[in-house]
Amino acid sequence: MMSLDFIEATFMRLMAALQVTLSVWALSVLIGAFIGGGVAWMRVSGVKPLEWLARAYVFVFRGTPLLVQLFIVYYGLSSFPVIRASVFWPFLRDAFNCATLSCALCTAAYQSEIFRGALAGVPPGQVEAARACGMSSFLLFRRVIFPIALRQALPAYSTEVISMVKATALVSLVTLWDVMSVALKIRNDTLVTYTPLLIAGGIYFVVNYLIARVFIFLEQWLSPHLRSRSA
Amino acid sequence: MPESDGYALTVEGLHKRFGSLEVLKGVSLQAREGDVISILGSSGSGKSTLLRCINLLETPDEGVVTVAGETIVMRKTRGGRSVPSDRSQVDRIRSELGMVFQNFNLWSHMTILENLIEAPIHVQKRPRVECLEEARALLDKVGIGDKAHFYPTHLSGGQQQRAAIARALAMRPKVMLFDEPTSALDPELVGEVLRVMRSLADEGRTMLIVTHEMNFARDVSDRMIFLHQGLVEDEGPPAELFSNSKSERFRQFIANERF
Repeated sequence: MMSLDFIEATFMRLMAALQVTLSVWALSVLIGAFIGGGVAWMRVSGVKPLEWLARAYVFVFRGTPLLVQLFIVYYGLSSFPVIRASVFWPFLRDAFNCATLSCALCTAAYQSEIFRGALAGVPPGQVEAARACGMSSFLLFRRVIFPIALRQALPAYSTEVISMVKATALVSLVTLWDVMSVALKIRNDTLVTYTPLLIAGGIYFVVNYLIARVFIFLEQWLSPHLRSRSA
Repeated sequence: MPESDGYALTVEGLHKRFGSLEVLKGVSLQAREGDVISILGSSGSGKSTLLRCINLLETPDEGVVTVAGETIVMRKTRGGRSVPSDRSQVDRIRSELGMVFQNFNLWSHMTILENLIEAPIHVQKRPRVECLEEARALLDKVGIGDKAHFYPTHLSGGQQQRAAIARALAMRPKVMLFDEPTSALDPELVGEVLRVMRSLADEGRTMLIVTHEMNFARDVSDRMIFLHQGLVEDEGPPAELFSNSKSERFRQFIANERF
């Protein structure tokens, strides 16, 4: 049973499923970045109703398990005839769309908090210096606030992005054939537990290692001022 | 260009309140082109606020600021607050005023050279090659030509402040504003910054300097303004002020300052 052939076959099947895992991950992180950016902007807008809306969003999506959100979107929404009759149904009937949407909404809450913290960490003196040079608000954001905030957000952002890779394992519970669900299927079919799970774990590990490397590279590339001068 | 009557900068009846605290209670000053004016006063006298009201980093509640003949147009909101009528005019006038801060405030993600060319290229829309050439010349002038590709954190405080002065100069400002430029520096680094400022004064730049360096202020200033509790308590050429100020408070103030 534990033959090399079995290991190879399992590995190949899991690698084939990696595409689904990575698709859900990449799309939800990307969409989450847009929503999270919007939520962070609302939060610092200084407009009270927007601020409260942003707070409520983070409160709800950070305060409840992703699995609950996922089930509500996939199983919950479909139980309303109104929704099945609406224009959203062709989108929501698809498990991949529901999984991606849930993950995106959830990571958006975390990302918005990372963005907010990074914006708050931009030194006020550097903003003032830009204003004193006559920069308009847009130029100030584009040339000073955003680049500084981006650099400050990176360490926390890499953590969030990596934790999203692992969070996608939950989509195995809504009929998607991602790495996790294929591993569980092999286990069910063969009654071999360790091999598929260990290989799945190894695949997640390698993916996350590569992502971490990319972020380390980004940090070093964007923040040469934090390295010593001898470099 | 509007008629400026030889005045690079005039301030008329400036008032500024922070909540119930009135920091400026009607301050006026005039700087002719080439004037070097130091603003003195104990902490809380309103001297930094005065400087920051001139380029609208703080919005004055009342008063008129005119830079090279152009008056900043203000209006009242329905709530009675004073705000600038035209943001783009504020941005334009700010670009004509070079501000040097106590804490340098260089942009940490850019090299020194990038700091210098940032506003000339993006605010003033001048050609990059010209800006680079001028920036290098300015860095040589303030004595850190070899630091062009360093990041601010890799420079000493004195070098950072000289870079900040060069950054302000790169905008070709009509007036330079210095807000306690040596107060955050270790004592041994003060001299190099003052030397740069002195050379600017010698070449006839219009400068407003908030400082506690009394010897320096006395040497380079054409006029000194002594602020006390938000009002001009006394003003005049340094020699006159030091020998026979009519203000008891000024005599007390200089007795307590380091020389």
